[in-house]
Order: sequence, then structure tokens, then C-alpha cells
Amino acid sequence: MQAVNTPIQENEKLNANTNEAERKPSGAEQMNDSAAKVGKTVGKPFAKHPKMTMRNVDVFYGDKQAIHDVSLDIGKNEVVAMIGPSGCGKSTFLRCLNRMNDTIEICKVSGEIKLEELDVYHPKQDVVPLRARVGIVFQKPNPFPKSIYDNVAYGPRIHGLVERKTDLDEIVENSLRRASLWEEVKDRLHAPGTGLSGGQQQRLCIARTIAVSPEVILMDEPCSALDPIATAKIEELITELSEKFTIAIVTHSMQQAARVSHRTAYFHMGKLVEVNDTKRVFTNPEHELTEAYITGRFG
Amino acid sequence: MTNSNQTLSTAEKVNQSLQKRYRAEKRFRAYGISAIAFGLLCLVVLFTDIISKGHSAFLQTYIKLEITFDPVEMGLDDPTDARQLAMADFDSLIRNALKEQFPEASDRRDRRALYAVVSNGAAFKLREQLKADPELLNQTVPVWMLADDDIDTYVKNREDAQGETFAGRISEKQMGWVNTLIENDQVESRFNTTFFTSGDSREPEQAGILGALMGSLLTLLVTILLSFPIGVAAAVYLEEYAPQNKFTDFIEVNINNLAAVPSIIFGLLGLAIFIGFFEMQRSLPLVGGLVLTLMTLPTIIISSRAAIKAVPPSVRDAALGLGASKMQMVLHHVLPLAMPGMLTGAIIGFAQALGETAPLLMIGMVAFVVDVPGAITDPATALPVQIFLWSDSPERAFVERTSAAIMVLLAFLISMNTLAIWLRRRLERRW
Amino acid sequence: MDKKSMERHISHKFDEDLEQLKNMVLKMGGVVEQQIADAVKAVESADSELAEKVIRVEDEVDLKEVELDEACTSVLACRQPAASDLRMVLAITKMTRDLERMGDEAQKVAKMAIALQDSGSKGYEEARHIGALVQKMVNTVLDAFARFDVDQALEVARTDKEVDREYKSAMREIVTYMMEDPRAITRSMNILWTLRAIERIGDHARNIAEHVIFLVKGTDVRHTSLQEIERRIGKA
Repeated sequence: MQAVNTPIQENEKLNANTNEAERKPSGAEQMNDSAAKVGKTVGKPFAKHPKMTMRNVDVFYGDKQAIHDVSLDIGKNEVVAMIGPSGCGKSTFLRCLNRMNDTIEICKVSGEIKLEELDVYHPKQDVVPLRARVGIVFQKPNPFPKSIYDNVAYGPRIHGLVERKTDLDEIVENSLRRASLWEEVKDRLHAPGTGLSGGQQQRLCIARTIAVSPEVILMDEPCSALDPIATAKIEELITELSEKFTIAIVTHSMQQAARVSHRTAYFHMGKLVEVNDTKRVFTNPEHELTEAYITGRFG
Repeated sequence: MTNSNQTLSTAEKVNQSLQKRYRAEKRFRAYGISAIAFGLLCLVVLFTDIISKGHSAFLQTYIKLEITFDPVEMGLDDPTDARQLAMADFDSLIRNALKEQFPEASDRRDRRALYAVVSNGAAFKLREQLKADPELLNQTVPVWMLADDDIDTYVKNREDAQGETFAGRISEKQMGWVNTLIENDQVESRFNTTFFTSGDSREPEQAGILGALMGSLLTLLVTILLSFPIGVAAAVYLEEYAPQNKFTDFIEVNINNLAAVPSIIFGLLGLAIFIGFFEMQRSLPLVGGLVLTLMTLPTIIISSRAAIKAVPPSVRDAALGLGASKMQMVLHHVLPLAMPGMLTGAIIGFAQALGETAPLLMIGMVAFVVDVPGAITDPATALPVQIFLWSDSPERAFVERTSAAIMVLLAFLISMNTLAIWLRRRLERRW
Repeated sequence: MDKKSMERHISHKFDEDLEQLKNMVLKMGGVVEQQIADAVKAVESADSELAEKVIRVEDEVDLKEVELDEACTSVLACRQPAASDLRMVLAITKMTRDLERMGDEAQKVAKMAIALQDSGSKGYEEARHIGALVQKMVNTVLDAFARFDVDQALEVARTDKEVDREYKSAMREIVTYMMEDPRAITRSMNILWTLRAIERIGDHARNIAEHVIFLVKGTDVRHTSLQEIERRIGKA
């Protein structure tokens, strides 16, 4: 160490070095390089009291493999956020959890996905009772073109959860209350659900989902079509709902993942790179790919 | 800005080209306007032609004669006896009445010409009148009777052709008698109820379109009842359930091809299958309906599939995500949302079927049917076939009836389209 | 190990912002380093002129601290940095504080130098050794920050132990002086304060080293023994 050099001079020297080093990696090739860096999942993919367990899950779209050997637990009353660049397979993986991918013919899932003791992909497992236990909220608010009441009442009706009209009314009210929408819509329950604002529509969709009393709620980028205020309301709601439900949420907003989740899973090109406590992921991620994504060095 | 002398700034260049662009824009708009104007012109010509030819068919000339219900002349003593009533000679009553009014017609030829002034169906009217009121026996009452079609044509066109006297097919003597009748206020033009209440006839003044209309309705009923459910079911299966493979591709290609097959081929198919193989009778609305079902099915399937495809996938996801079964998803969400589109497509198909002639010719719905059909198993013709038949007839009175029938058919089609629009609006209004 | 140079941000402006923060810290560090060197020299040779300069420069350091705080706040508000970026900004805010304190201590040393001269005594040669040690610490820690070098940061932590030992032995020596010659008490007290201030500068340098370790490794190593630090970062 030459003590004669002032730190400033040193710094300039270092910058010169970095500039030289910077020329190599850039853009897409770097992504390809980084794919090779994904090894086994690092961090804490398993939970103490798992509600859903996924082991060695592979998903194929025809010949293309979308998910590579993912093992993950979602703990009871836990909010797990799944983040990653577009096309990393996080949504695909989420949709496997209640077999929404069944509608895509070429989609094949192997490995083990369990909801407590129930084998989700057992050949004899019917999707209807599964989806009654694992509800889903989609990216775009998609209320049925029916009244607010009918939207919420639809699930209980088709599953035959209630016998009397008064019970149904109660479910509808409770669900809307839990979705923090009751105060806003109680006077117009029979107005069309599609007439609400985007954020209200999404909360209506959440109310519709929880009306069936599922155990797990999957959320596929629930706020991507909403303004910040509506987003904040939904996030608040997610935090409240986690007291009663287990929630898996896919999000493009890292800040959202940071705000609402207990654990965060980072997907990269179909692989689960890292799962850790959210606090850890956002202050000191274990894997360099996670670090690069979190800090906005690629995406 | 160094070489601003040679090169113009962007704004200047834009301004230069602007004029050209405006002109092109104007031309482009003019093309569209002229296309629409041409279409409208054709439509106006068509409608004026049809209406100017056909409006007179809605009026019919009646002649008033003093009829004496003379039992001797008729050869009947008890007007309540149906058999006697059927045998009675009502024609002679009319002849007597005419002879009485125009005694100058003495020789056989004149007499025959005189008798031809009144429609030969008039006697039936007298019978009906006597049957309804037996008290009329031995009394003399004025009766309004249908004029013959030639007289009708003469009366209608007499006023139009002011300068030169229009004779049509009537002789000078007949013209004289008719003029006398007109002067005596014994001739009147009334609304032509016969046209709407009776079936086809060889005599134009007695010919009506009710038979053809009923035939069309019955045929259409069969078509609607069969093709809509079958078409929708097929569309739902193909869209929601069918796996994507070579076989479904093959079916899809075939449906698309069938929609383009000439309708007469369907007629031949119906002839071979329903009449040849199943040995059904010819000329039945049932068979016609079956043939038209085959013809409209591809249209309905294609339009229904398009309507089902147009239902946003998010709604399907929402239903499935809540744990609805596929059938619940289809019945509760997809079909209600697709219904307006499916109905529109189907009604267009039905309208097409309503105007179809060729396949019906093949299965014998071109027959001369006088009776108004009451069931799908009664022989019948259809409106377009009736128009085709009448347009072929030599009598001048059939020309106006052809146009009138076209007007009725158009009214039918327009009301069906209105229904389609109304249904779509109504169903869509459910947000 | 060298995570920071792995990739660039998608947002170039973000890179520039962080780079600027870093440069500001290094610049402030440079000024403080010079201040310390001058202050120690002033004490050694009882040079009041040099000491005055140290005191003047202090305003500049304070100004730099405020500027850095503002820059950090704006990066936090506008960029919402996460992970290493977040640690970087956090570390910089803390380092700024430590640097500013170092400046304060240097000012104290300079004031002692003036007092020494006023009392007419010659400079205090004994401050040379500990002063050199501390100067080296500051230099190394700034270098460690510039390179995100944990090893250098650890070296600083180790040197701090040495400084503590030096300080203790110097204190014993001065106490002996005072007992031997009560007239020398005033001077000895001044020297004691000077040494104390220099030792404090070393402590701040150690703090900065800890921030560098936190910044690079993500492990908080404050209030931890050297062995424990080595164990933790060796594992991380």
C-alpha cells in the first residue's frame, strides 16, 4: 500500500480498472452465462408447518421445459412471493398449484405437489374440490358480467355450500367485508360488478375467491393492472388475509414482494434460484443472480 | 441550417406534401361515398320497381250484382242440407243477375264474355253466404263479388292510361259493360284480403300467399328447432371440449367448406336421403326444414364458434379458478356471453334459409298447392318458390302479385333482422 | 467476492448516482485524511499555523457531510435501492458520520497543538508513532471502501487493537511523567487529550471498516470481537 497516494487518486485508478473489466459481460449473453450459474436452490425453500409442498416439479410445454426441478414449501398462514424476470416460469409454477394449467393441452407436470395430504396431480384427483381449496386471483380483474352479489355468491352456489338465502347473504357480506369492499358496495349489491373501478373489481375478485373459504389463495400479479392507491389497498388486504389463509403471490413489483411477503422465492429461467426470508432477500440475498435482479442489474 | 438554400426544413417539406395528402384523403373518402351511393341507388331502383308493380295487388276489384237466391234455379230446396248445398248451381244465379242487367248480350259468345266478367270463384262465395244465412232463400240481395282478373287489371289501369284507352285482354263489349257497371257504382276497389287469406290458385284474383307463407314458416320452424341447438352444441363441443388434433382440424375444414357449397347440392342431398332413402313424402315442410337445416348448420356453427371464441378467456379462468366444472363454466358464463353473437349469426342463417329456392325445388316444394298447410306434414310451397312460380305465369294480374309477394318476403326478412337486432340489444344490455 | 463489479444497473443514471456517492465519500475521506495528517504533524512540531489550517478545513468537512446526507436521501427516495445497493447507501450514511467525527477529533488535536505552542513547549514527538498508525488505518480503510476489499477492512480492525495498545502504554508513560514532575501536569493532560483524540480517530476508522464489511458481506459486525468477525465473514 503506497501511503503517498490520496484515496481520490486511488479511486480514479480503480475506476480505470473497472472500465476495462466492464467490456466483457453485457445484455443477453450475460443472461445466458448466468443460467449456467443456477445450481441448486439456495436459502430456505422448506417451511416448518407446510400447507403446500412441492418436490422436484418439472413443467413442460410440449418439448420446452418451463420449470426445472423446483422444490418449495408454502407454510401455513405464510405469504410467499415469487419474483423473477418475465418468462422465468413463476406464473406457470403458481398455476400448477391448483392445476389451472390443465386447460393448456401441451402442458405436462411431473414431480410431486401436495396440499397437506392431498396429491394435487394424482390421476384420480378431481380439480373441482382442489380448486375449492386452492383459490386463485388473476392479473386482470375479471368479475363475471353479473351483479356484485352474484359474483360473490357464485362459488358458494356451485359448490352447494349453503342451503338458505340468508346464509348466502351472510357469506356474501362477510366475504365483501373481509375484502374491505363492503362499505363501498353495500348499497348497490345488485349493480353490475363490471361497473366498479379497477381496484374495486380486483377486491371483488378476492371476495369472490374467499367466499368459497379456500385454504390457499394464489395471486397471479394481482396489482399489475392497478394504480398505486388500489395497489396499496390490495397489499393491506393481503396482509390481513394472511391471518386466515395461506397465500402465494406472483409479482413483478419487487417492492410489493418486499412489502407483503414473509418469504420470497426468486425464479430464473425456470429454475428456483433462491428462497429466503423476505428481509434477507432484500438486504443481503444469498445468490448473486438474486442480487443482480433485486438491485435492478437485469430483468 | 448551413445549406438551407437547397434543403428545406422538415416543416416546409411536410407543408408541401400536405396538399397532396389532403387531395388523396378527399379522393379516398369520395370512393367510399360513391360506393354507398351506388348501393343505395340500386336499392331505391329495386324498391321503386317492386312497389310500383306490386302495390296494386293489395287492391282488388269487386262487382255488385243483385242476386236472387232462386231455389228452382239452384236446384235446392233445403239450404241447411250440406249435400244439396254442395250440388246446387250457384253459377246460374250470377248468370241470371248479369243477364238481367245486360239483356243486350243475347248470343252465346256475348253471353260467355258477359259471364267472364265475374270471377268463377264467385259462386263459392254465394254458397258460403247462403250457408251462413239460410233466410236468404227466395230473397234478392246485392252481393259484392270478385271481378275476373282481366276486368281487375282493366279497372286498375283504366285511370292510369288517361289518353289512350287501355283494354288489356278484354273485348270492347266487356269494356262497355264494365263502364256501365262503374257508372252505376257497381264496381269498387277494396283491400285485397284474399291475397293474404288463401292459398295458390290458377285464377289470379283468387290466388293468395297464405299457403306459401305458412309453408315458409313451418319450414323455418323445423330449421330453427333443429339447426340452432345442433349448431350451438357442435360449436360448444368444438370450441370447449374437442382436443386439438388432425381429426378436429379435418372437421373444421369440412365445416368451412360446407358453408361454401351451393345450396342446390343440399337439395340433391335431401332428395337422396330424406325422400330416396327414408321415403318421406315430397313437398313437405318437414323435408324442406331438414334440407335447410343441413344448409344453415355450417353458418350457425361457424358464427357460434366465433361468438364463443370472443368470450374473454379471463371469464373462463375466473369460473374455473372458483372450481366450476367445465359444463358449469359453459352454461353459466360462456353461453350467456356468446348468446347475442350466436343469435345474430343464426338469424342471418335463417334469413338466408328463408330466401332459399333451389334446394326446395329439388325436394318438390315447387308443386301447385291450393290448401294452406297446417302442419309440417302437409304438402306446401315456400314464399320464394311461390314468387318463382308466379313470375312464370302468363296472366298479367300475376305480375303485380309476384311483386306483392316479394314485398311480403322482404317484410318478413326485415322483421327477422329487426328481431335479431332487438334480441342482441336485449341480451347485451345485461352488461 | 467482488460482487459490486459483477454487472451494471439497467438504469445508467442509478450507476452514476451510486458512483457519485462513492466519489463524494472518498473525496471527504481525502480531506479528513489530510486533516488528520496535518493535525498530527502540528502536534509533533507544535506548528500552530498548520493547526489553524486544520480548524479551517473543518467547515469544509461539515459541508461535505451535509451534501452527502442529501445525496443519500435522494437516492433512497428516488431509487429505492435494495440488497447491496441499499447496504451501500446505508453504509455511506454511517461512514459520513464517522468521517465527520474524525474531522472533529482532528480539530481537537489541532487545538491541542495550538495550546502546546501557546504554553511555549516544544512539540510532542511521542504522538508520531500512534499518529502514523492511525493515519495508515484511515488510508487503508478508505482504500478498502474504494475497492470493497474485506481483507483490508479486517487489517484496519486489527490495527485498531495495536492503536489501543499504543494508547494504553503511552497513557501509563504520561501518568509516570505526571507523578515524577507535577509541573508537567498541564502539558501532560494536553498530550493525554491529544492521544485520546487520535485513538478516537482510530476507533472511527474501525467503525468504517465494519461498515465496509457490512456493505460487502451483508453481515453486521459492530460490537463484535475480531475473532468473531473473522469467523462470521469467513463463513458468509
